[in-house]
This record gives sequence, C-alpha cells and structure tokens, in this order.
Amino acid sequence: MIHREINPILTGNVRLDSVDQQGSNMLNRLSKAVVMRDCRVVKELTERMVKVGVDLFEILNDGLIPGMLEASERFRRGEFFIPELLMSSRALKIGLGILRPLIQESQKDVLGRVVIGTVKFDLHDIGKNLVIILLEGNGFEVIDLGVDASPEKFMKAVEKNQAQVLAMSSLLTSTMVWMKSTIELLHESGLNGRIKTMVGGAPVTPIFAKNIGADAYCREATSAPAVAKSLMGLK
Amino acid sequence: MKECLVKEKKNPRLLILGCAVIEQELRQFQNGQTEFKFLDYGLHRTPENMAKALQVEIDNADGKDYDGIVLGYGLCSNGIVGIHSEKHTLIVPRIHDCITLFLGSPESYNEQAAKHPGTYYLTPGWVEKGQTPISKYESYARSYDEETARWVLHEEMKHYTRIALIDTGVYPIESYRNIGQQNAEFLGIGYEELHGSPQLFHELVCGPWEKGFLIIGKGTPIQQEMFLDL
Repeated sequence: MIHREINPILTGNVRLDSVDQQGSNMLNRLSKAVVMRDCRVVKELTERMVKVGVDLFEILNDGLIPGMLEASERFRRGEFFIPELLMSSRALKIGLGILRPLIQESQKDVLGRVVIGTVKFDLHDIGKNLVIILLEGNGFEVIDLGVDASPEKFMKAVEKNQAQVLAMSSLLTSTMVWMKSTIELLHESGLNGRIKTMVGGAPVTPIFAKNIGADAYCREATSAPAVAKSLMGLK
Repeated sequence: MKECLVKEKKNPRLLILGCAVIEQELRQFQNGQTEFKFLDYGLHRTPENMAKALQVEIDNADGKDYDGIVLGYGLCSNGIVGIHSEKHTLIVPRIHDCITLFLGSPESYNEQAAKHPGTYYLTPGWVEKGQTPISKYESYARSYDEETARWVLHEEMKHYTRIALIDTGVYPIESYRNIGQQNAEFLGIGYEELHGSPQLFHELVCGPWEKGFLIIGKGTPIQQEMFLDL
C-alpha cells in the first residue's frame, strides 16, 4: 500500500487513483531494472519509492524479488548465464541495501537467527549468497559459514548462535548427501527439537528434502525468506 | 528379465548418446556394431534442456532397433532425470558427472574431492569442446566491460585452489599442458596433472556394465534416487 499521507510529491493536483497506478508502474520498472541488471535505475527507483512512502515490504516483495525471480528463471531456462545472474543479484543487493536499515528500524527486533552454508566439499555460493541478501533484507540475522561447511561446523554454529533455522545449500548432486549427514548429526545431538532445517540448491528436489528429513525445501533463493518465516511460525 | 538381454548378447547393437567432451575417450573403443551420437556440452548448464534434448534423441532411436541405448552421461545435475525409452533398455553409469568417468571410478573422484575440494578440472576434451576459465573470461569480456568480466569471473572462481588437467590418454597431453598452466596462472592458483583411466569409458562402450552401471528397463524414467546412497 502507498502511504499517501506522507507522500511529498503526490500532493496537490495528483489524483489518488493515479497514485496506485504510479506505484505499481514503479514496482514493475523496479522488477525490470533488476532483470536488466541496471544498478543505477534500481537505486533511483528504490530511493524514490521509499521517499514517496511505498511500503518497504511492497518494494521488496512486489518489485525487487519478482525481478530476481525472473532473472533466476531465465538462468534456469538457459537465457541468462552466470554474468547476468550475478549482475541481477548485484542490482538486487543495491535495492536491499537501501531497504534493509529501514526495515530493521521498523522491526526493532530481528525476526530470527539463521545459520547458513554450502555443504561439505561444495564451493558454490552464488545461490547461497543471494539467499543471505534476501534473508537479511527481510530482517533475519544470518550467520554465514561460507562454503565447504562440514556437519560438525553447522552443528557448532547452530549451538553457539542459538539459531532457529539452519539453511543448507549445494550445487552438486555429489555433495548434497552431506545435508543428510548434517541433519542426522543434529538428531544425534538432540538439537533437532529446537532447530528447523531448510535445504536448497539447483539439484535439490522436494523428494530429496523429504527423504533426508529436512523440514523445508526451497526451490529458489527468492522464496527463502517466506520459507524461513513459515518454519518459525511467522506470517 | 528382458532388460538383461543386452548384457547377454555377444555383439549387441548399441546406440551411445554422449556429451561432446567425452567423444574421443569413447570413440577409442568404437566397434562395428555401435553407433554414436554426441550432444553439445553446453546442455550441462541447463539440466531441463539436457533432459529434453536427450529425450528427443531417445524417442528418435525408439524408431529403430537397438539392443540397448547407453548414456555417456552421469546424473549431471539432474540433466538425465525423467528420461525414458518406450522400447529400449537404457544403460547408464551410476556417477554424478564426467569427472568420475575421466578418473575411472567414484573412489578416485571421492579421493580427489576430499583432498582438494577446490579443484577446477580440465581435460583436453573440455578444452576443445567446452570452456576454460580463460575462455569464460573472454566470453564475458565480449558482452561486458573488462571490470565487470573480471568481477564475474572472480565471483565464479574465487573458491578454486587448483586446476587439475586430467590426462585421459587419447590426446597428446603436452599440447594441453600450456593451456592448463595458463589458466592456473590466470586465476593465481595451483596446477597439477592427474592420470585418468580408460576403465569406465571402456565398460561404457563394451560392457559388461556390472557394478557401477544402472540397467533401466523400458518405460522406466531415470530418477535422482537411483544415483544416491541415502
């Protein structure tokens, strides 16, 4: 929703029905700018929408994230390659960089603490880093273990940080079995009662996630915040 | 069981569908009865497209009479998941990707992965038909400015610690050593050469497809679970 009362440029002669239209046009343009990797436009539009009082989560969920989702889908279809995916992520990061402090300010407390990492023997982190940006942008505190994180490393970080969610990523079918080892270790150590696990990465499927006993499967990075929230029982 | 017939035949008539990067390694074992078809290496980037492309080839082959179709592919990021033949038995190495084929066994691959998880593998076939870090950079620099191209390559490669050139025995390795070393230098990481093994390539073309291969009956789609030890 647009906060019309604090809208400095839409007072006077601007009709209210055109306000929504303008907001939604800007959100569409913001999405397109993320897809087109245009950092300058992403920055300008995000700042402008913040200034005119568009709801922060609307900018995030109806502008930035659909753009990133579209970029990811194009990558999946082979229309985008790694440069385009990375550059879209960079544009998203710029938009989120503007929103994040404002979201933190409005939320006061962090939503929850997430430990995240790419699993053992796997060094791929483009998707995981995108998840981190999105989780932080949504108000989560994220502890990033980087790549090649062993089950023991995950477990120690979960314990040390009193995390509520453990997120694991892998890009290789040869390494994703380490997600299972990690979940097993959590069970053995009795931590599974207080931590929820979510798994993702290109080769991970819902069936695999279920078979290894993960609490949630994340098909794409952009859905990670919603998945993490639902694991924590948040809206 | 019908699907075992292909294993019992003396000179089975086979169609081998493989990735272009392993063409020479497979062709060295070519015999009269076997037909080969190689597909573009770039399919590995888009598993959904890989499955579609392979299914088209398998459907075409179903119009002919083979004793079996062998896939010169591993699970390849789920790029073979879902494919099936209505008419033929499918024979598939139970491996994750071609690095295991080059090294000769899952054990050799696991040993390398454990010792050096940050390995970027190259083979002459990859250099010829696929990409190297340098050729990636060059392609990025054709589309974007130099700074962006460097940033992208850095983001993509920053965790790699060595280039390993695998000598698969079918190319003169001296001709590729320079390329391997240049790539390592370009990334500022180590360089090593590894001996490959023809073992899996031989079995892929000539059988007997024992342990280490999946025999998939007609009508059965390939599933990810078939490749995992859970």
